[in-house]
Formats: sequence, structure tokens, C-alpha cells
Amino acid sequence: MYRIETIHSKESYKVKRHTLGMPLKNFKAEIEPYLYLLPAASIFIAFTFYPFFKTIYISLFMTGPQGGLSKFIGLKNYFDLLASPDFLNSLYVTFEFVLLTVPFSIIISLVLAIFANLDIKGKSVFRTFYALPISISSASAAVIWTLLFNPSIGFINYLLSFFGIPAIGWLTDVKWGIVAVSIVTIWLNLGMNFIFLLGGLQNIPKDLYESAQIDGANVFLQHVKITIPMLSPTLFFVTVVDIINAFQQFGVINIMTQGGPVDSTNVIVYSIYRDAFFNFRFGVASAESIILFVILLILTVLQFKTGERRVFYR
Amino acid sequence: MIIFKRAISLMLILGLLIAAIGCSNSQKQTATASTQSTPTSSQDKVIEITFWHAMGGNLGAALNKMVENFNKTHPNIKVIAQFQGNYDEELNKLRTAQQSKSGPDIVQVYDIGTRFMVDSGWAVPVQKFIDEEKYDISKLEPNLLAYYTVENKLYSMPFNSSTPILYYNKTAFKDAGLNPDTPPKNFEEIEQYGKKLLKKDASGKVTQYGYSMAIYGWFFEQFMAKQGALYANNGNGRDARATAVVFNDEAGQNIVNWWKKLVDEGVAGNFGRGYDDTLNAFTAGRTAMFIASTASLKQVLDGVGNKFEVGTGFLPALNDSKDGGVIIGGASLWILNTRSEEYQKAAWEFIKYMVSPEQQLFWHQNTGYFPVTKAVYDMPEMKSHLEKYPQFKTAIEQLHSTPINRATQGALIGVFPEARQTVEKAIEKVLQNQATTKQALDEALKSINKAIENYNQTIGK
Repeated sequence: MYRIETIHSKESYKVKRHTLGMPLKNFKAEIEPYLYLLPAASIFIAFTFYPFFKTIYISLFMTGPQGGLSKFIGLKNYFDLLASPDFLNSLYVTFEFVLLTVPFSIIISLVLAIFANLDIKGKSVFRTFYALPISISSASAAVIWTLLFNPSIGFINYLLSFFGIPAIGWLTDVKWGIVAVSIVTIWLNLGMNFIFLLGGLQNIPKDLYESAQIDGANVFLQHVKITIPMLSPTLFFVTVVDIINAFQQFGVINIMTQGGPVDSTNVIVYSIYRDAFFNFRFGVASAESIILFVILLILTVLQFKTGERRVFYR
Repeated sequence: MIIFKRAISLMLILGLLIAAIGCSNSQKQTATASTQSTPTSSQDKVIEITFWHAMGGNLGAALNKMVENFNKTHPNIKVIAQFQGNYDEELNKLRTAQQSKSGPDIVQVYDIGTRFMVDSGWAVPVQKFIDEEKYDISKLEPNLLAYYTVENKLYSMPFNSSTPILYYNKTAFKDAGLNPDTPPKNFEEIEQYGKKLLKKDASGKVTQYGYSMAIYGWFFEQFMAKQGALYANNGNGRDARATAVVFNDEAGQNIVNWWKKLVDEGVAGNFGRGYDDTLNAFTAGRTAMFIASTASLKQVLDGVGNKFEVGTGFLPALNDSKDGGVIIGGASLWILNTRSEEYQKAAWEFIKYMVSPEQQLFWHQNTGYFPVTKAVYDMPEMKSHLEKYPQFKTAIEQLHSTPINRATQGALIGVFPEARQTVEKAIEKVLQNQATTKQALDEALKSINKAIENYNQTIGK
């Protein structure tokens, strides 16, 4: 901060020297940009920075059943968490969930986008269909899917029975719980990913494909050599956003499984919710949030460091 | 200058990232705004009080009717009933609202929230009004008074009270060659009957399970009491504040072992934690017997319709204990000290109305919760109602045959909601072959005891 201020004052000194005699204009040029930033910055300070630092503060305390701070315990919450098998399980489940959802939702939406980008009749109908999940809130989607997965009257098991597949305990079996919530999450993500990817596809100039065709490249090769590189900025963006979203998935899990069966879908965000708003141990929950923040920060930095190099910007 | 600009943009980017995870933290800052009006000082003023409850579906409809009737008959008081989600959600909203003292005047809190509510210091014990007014509580069910009396004070007024009972499909009993008038009395009979009731199709797929129960911690607590065993130490937390739970003994293991045995044998279906999922399985004919609250009776009867005949029986026994029985479930009404005595008095008027025999009769008929006052049984309407729907009798008889002791009074623990969930996880673990009964219960015990220790420490008692 100190360095920044010294440079700042030096620069303004320079400016002052050159524009001597026009202090008002100078003042305006200096201050005006910050005034524009002020609304956004004050919102950030009130709703993001203040809660963030408060969260760090609370994470150092033991909290009472009514939410009040009761005793300073330093980093004990963090140590307890990192030694707790339940929390480590949550970390594991979270990564499992990210790996199950992000690649699939991107691949499926990419394939759908490529098809919807073809020059065929009724493509706008398909586009609308594929983008439909976007308009459904995750809460209502979860309720609908819970019914579809229902162990006794669910439609999915009924459908599977025609193929001779025995009933699956989608939401009651430890092996399938995470699969069920992943399916719903992938489906929910499709709409948004589809729209971004379709937009990206439409920005790729047609002549690239035409010249490739003349050179004798088949459709598959065209997509690998032209579509993917040209689409890489969009793909990169979608990946980053999807990963962050997957880490934060809450609504679907809260409604469909409540973290069960046996914690097999208890992702970090859900366990934060449990500890904060069910067990009312804000200290522990705050420590969990900070750990999640650090993980997300590291991941995002890594992605920008490694992923961005492969992205082709025109 | 450039660095300064960078610092700002960095901060904004950082802010976005924090916002990404911060959404779950900032929630607690937002206190629920409640509709409170300032009282006017004229003589014929109307006192407006808010009432939070957790009654959805057909229960909520019945409750709203009662509130409406109260408002019509009491021109000086206006009760505004607000549905706040299920019991857990409601209690958590209350905790959040009370941080800024913006809770309601009356709140319906479930049985297991009792210890927390007493410790919170937010409640005015209804005992205060009972003493002031010499209100007669001799007609109230003694089991209810035993449950809700803490440290010799009746803190809250029992309102909707239930116990678990066995529901069974009489038609399926007849088809399997069983006597439809004798439901199984213990788990040996459940197993025996269940095997006969089990139906499979040609491919070996089960079309009708013999028995089921949702993985619901409440049932575990009930089966402990049915065996006359304690859930927590210090007399279930009634002789002195409980410092630990003790359910990993023989009684606790007995419950989980039976449960697992039935599931492993294929007699019992596992429809997960969702209470309604098992209930729907029964109404859809997928299971011939199941355990549920008496309060679900109306819902079950409506759901089944004319498809088959429904019978009800006592909660099946796990041993031959004579001191065992059922614990009162459901919820009670708490008067909060959020506002002045004037409002608390109005709240008390409302509570008296809600437990009056006429209202309790209406409530019982429309839900299945049994009446909290014995005066209802003298009413001719009640007699004709029980003749028409004999299934309602089971709950009442089960209640009256339950002795009052530490086991059947139920446990008082500050972290009971959390304890219940931990037990559910332990049962799931065993059913899914992830741990033995002993391991799972020991682990649950350890985690709950830690929570209890933390709780007792932070409330400074």
C-alpha cells in the first residue's frame, strides 16, 4: 500500500507541474474515475469484503447455539477440520462431483451446439429445446427429478425395467446418490453452456470450413482442427465458470439428498450450510468457507496460468 | 498510478471470487423482517400477533381454519399465521430472526427443540400464565405434561401431539392368509408376517415388500423408549442436564440389527430418509406394513382411498420390557418475550383457544394428531368419530397404555436436531454395509457427545 501511495503522489506531482494554474481540472481528472468506481466498490465493500473479513474473524472463534461468539480459539477450527474424516470426505466428494459434472456437461453441450449450428430445417426449435434448462430454477428441477428418481413410483426405474434393468436406488444407494445429483446438475448446466458455445460457433468464419473442405478434410477433422481451436476462448470461459459453479452446487443437493446417503453427496458448500444454519456452529462453518475460498483461488490461478496459454485469441 | 489502478481491479476481481463462496455466509446477516405493528392506545384497539408454524399441506389448511375462527371470535386480537417450512427450517429461521429480536410472538417448536428453547432465554414459560390465572391443566394428557415440563415448569403448551404407529394393508394380509385384525406385536412377528407378505414378479423383482420404515431418527428414539432404555445420560437429561448420549448399548444395537436383518433378507424395503417416500410406497401398494406418525393417518387414508383397507397397530416391540412405551412427538406452542406483556397475554389467549376441547376435536379429526386434552373424549362427536374411523383409536390407546418414566418422557438435549441426523447417518451406514452396528453407533455417539460438550460449554452451564 505504501509503495502504491508514493508512486501515486509522485505522479500527481508530475501532473501538477505540467498543469500548473489549473487545479480544478487537475482535481477532476484525479478524482473523477474513482467516483465512477464508488457505487460498485461500496457494494463490494458492504456485501463482499466486510462479510469476507468477518468470516475470517468468526472462524477463529467457538460460537454459541444462538450464533454469538463465545471463545477465541485461534486456528483450532481449521486444525479440527483438517483432521476430521467427515470434512476430508466432503473435500473428496466435492472433487468427485466436479469431475463427474464439468467434463460431461461441456462435451454434451458442445455436441448439441455443433448439431444446432448445422443448416437444417427447424434448427431454431432444437435450439430452444436445448437451451430450455436455463429457464428452470434448480430448486424446481430438483423437485421434478426427485419424483423421477422416486424409489417406488419413479419414472426412470420404470423405464429401465423395460430393458430388464433391476430397480436402482438412485437416492438411497450410496453408490448412486452422487450419480443422480450429477445427472441433474449436468442437465441444468446444459442450457447455459449450450448458448455460450453456440454463440462461439457462430463467430467462426464459414470460409475456414470451406477451404478445409476443398483441402479434403472430413467433418471430424474439421471440428478438431478448426472448431476446437477457434472456440477455445469460449471453452475456457465455460470451463472456469462451470468449475466454480460445481464447487458451489447447493440447491439440487439440498433438495434431493440432503448430503446423504451416508454423506456420499455432502459437498463442502452443503456441509458449510449444515454447520452454519442447522448445527449453528458458525465458527466451524466460517473456517470451512475460508478453506473453500483458498481452494477456489488456487484452482482459478492454476487455470489462468495453464489453460490460458492454450487459448487462441483472434 | 497504474499499480494503484491494478490494485483496485485486483480487489474487484478478488471480490467476485469471494462473492462466489461468500453467498452462503452473508445469509446470516439478513434478518427475517417480521410484520410488527405498533400498538395504538385507544380502548378498542386490535392487538396483532404473529404466529410461526411448520404445518404444511392438509395440516396447514386445518390450522389456518382454526386461526381464522379465533380471529372471528376474538375481535380484539388478530393472529397472523405464517408458515415457515418444516420444523428444522422454522427453528433455524427463528434463531436467525432472534439475533435481531425480530421473531414472532408465538412459535410452534417441535419436541426435540425443547431444551434449546429453554436455554435460549427467549421464551416466557406458559407456567407463568397458568399460575396467574389458576388455569386448570388437570384435563391435559399427563404424558404431554411430563414431556414438556422442564425444571418443574411447563414451558410450552403442547398443541399437536403424535406417536408412531404401525400401518398395515388389511387386504394384503387377507391375500397372504393372515388375520387382518391382528397386526404383528413385535419384530419376530414382523419378520414372520413380512416373509408371507413379500411378493415378487416373474423376474424376481419385488413388487410388494413386507415391511418398511423411513430412515428417520425419530423412530430410533421411539424404539429405545419402547425397550425402556435411555437415549441420554442423567435420566434422559431430566434429572440434570445431559452431558452425553448413551444409545450405543444393547437396546440401540438391537434396533439397528433388526432393521438390517429385515433389509438383508429382502423383507423390508429401504425407501431412504424421505418420510413421505415410504408413505407413498405404502399407498402405492409397494409395502404392506410401515411405521409412521399418527399425524399421517388422514394423509394415508386419503392417499389409499378405496384401493385397500388400512389397519393400524401399536409400535412393534423389540423386547418384553414392561416399562417401555412411546414418547410424545409433535410440537408445542411457545410464547416469546419479543414484545411487551400485552402481546404475551394475547398470545396466551390464543393458546388457550387452540387447546380447548372443541378446537382439539377439529384438529384431531382433520389430521390424526391426538387431542391434548382428555375433555375431548367426553364429547359425543368424538365418540361417533372413533366409531367411524377405528384406526384413530390405536394412537389413543397406545398413549394411555404408556407408563410415564424417564425413558418414555423422552430425552432433553440442546443439540437434538443434530443428534437425530447423526443417528440417521449411522443407520444408513449399517444398512449400506459400510460399518457394523457397533462401529456406526459408537462413531455417532462420539460426534454427538462432542456437540453436546460444545453446546453446554457455550451456553455457560
